Amino acid sequence: MSLGDELRYLRAFHGGGNLQEIEDEIGLEPGTLRYMEQRYRRIGEDDELLARIAVHYGVPVERLQFHRERYRKALSAYLHHAQESGAMVRCELRTGETLTGKVRWWDLGAFGLDPDEGGSLTVVQRHSVLDWPMTNDQ
Amino acid sequence: MPEDVRTLRQKKRLSINQLASRSGISIATLIEYEKGKLEISPSDLRRLAKALYVDEWDINPRSTPPPAPPRREEQPARPPRTSRPKEQPKEQPKEPKQKKAPRQSPPARDSQIAHLLTLAARFDIDQAALEAEIGKPLSELTQKEARHWNGLFMRRVAEEKPPRATDRRRAYLPEGVDGFELAYLQEQQEAAVPLHFTLFDGQTFQGTVVGFSPYQITIREPGGDEVTLNKLAIAYYRKAGGAR
Repeated sequence: MSLGDELRYLRAFHGGGNLQEIEDEIGLEPGTLRYMEQRYRRIGEDDELLARIAVHYGVPVERLQFHRERYRKALSAYLHHAQESGAMVRCELRTGETLTGKVRWWDLGAFGLDPDEGGSLTVVQRHSVLDWPMTNDQ
Repeated sequence: MPEDVRTLRQKKRLSINQLASRSGISIATLIEYEKGKLEISPSDLRRLAKALYVDEWDINPRSTPPPAPPRREEQPARPPRTSRPKEQPKEQPKEPKQKKAPRQSPPARDSQIAHLLTLAARFDIDQAALEAEIGKPLSELTQKEARHWNGLFMRRVAEEKPPRATDRRRAYLPEGVDGFELAYLQEQQEAAVPLHFTLFDGQTFQGTVVGFSPYQITIREPGGDEVTLNKLAIAYYRKAGGAR
């Protein structure tokens, strides 16, 4: 799950507040959170900024740093390479489950996984993927 | 008194896109309904009623076709244009469907010429060579001719894809679309296949898809209840019962 998805999740978990109000409370430049929630590329390089957001949401800053490394483009790259090579993917979901299978398709919001144990196609929402094996080229 | 779906949509200030999104009915089908070319199926009638916040009987199942645009002969006569050649008097008797004499296309715009030169340069064709290929100086090209040649070069670019100095690919382009999932949902909806949904919090739901948008999926549960699931809350879903 990317930092953007994690921030959206935290915001929803804390009552789904208005972005502008939260930015005011934390003392961020207007638009900072919106930008962070929506970016596909790696974001959140400023650890001091992450720490302030972490304090606001009551989570350890390491949690945000963990998600910083799992940006959406990195997941795209993982899915893309797996689909091209026919390799199995392994995704740890926010539900605590781990799904493995071959990527049949992937797009903006989800990907279709043919489970390795057989059965029907599983459509996984990208924002539910907490972690996946990271390689150096991602 | 039932009203046409188009009238209702306009009253609700919705675009066709928005209505399609809300109801889960494709834009193409909605257009057919609005034009009165198709009678609205009972299931779509239900969905439209829900999306438009009206009762089913408020919607006319077969819309009145919109009035056709007035044909040329029915249009009020306009004063003759100054550019019209005088040797063609307006009151000349006309054969039905007689073709008009083609109008002379105006000279090509600078932007068209510039675009043409840019495209030609991709094939190492300079202005002199281009003019030789066209058979006249670029300054004498009309807009129509420029359009034709630009189209020709665009097709050549698409077909030949000349190698660039750097082979820079935009990686992972499918990210720009969400068509695969929507196509999958459309397929399952049409086949009325029950799907099993697992949410972030571990809750599960099962039912057939009755509508979807990029943000929500509405299902009908076996008991007949309809539930709208926010996609942000969904972790994954698959066909119920593990069927392929």
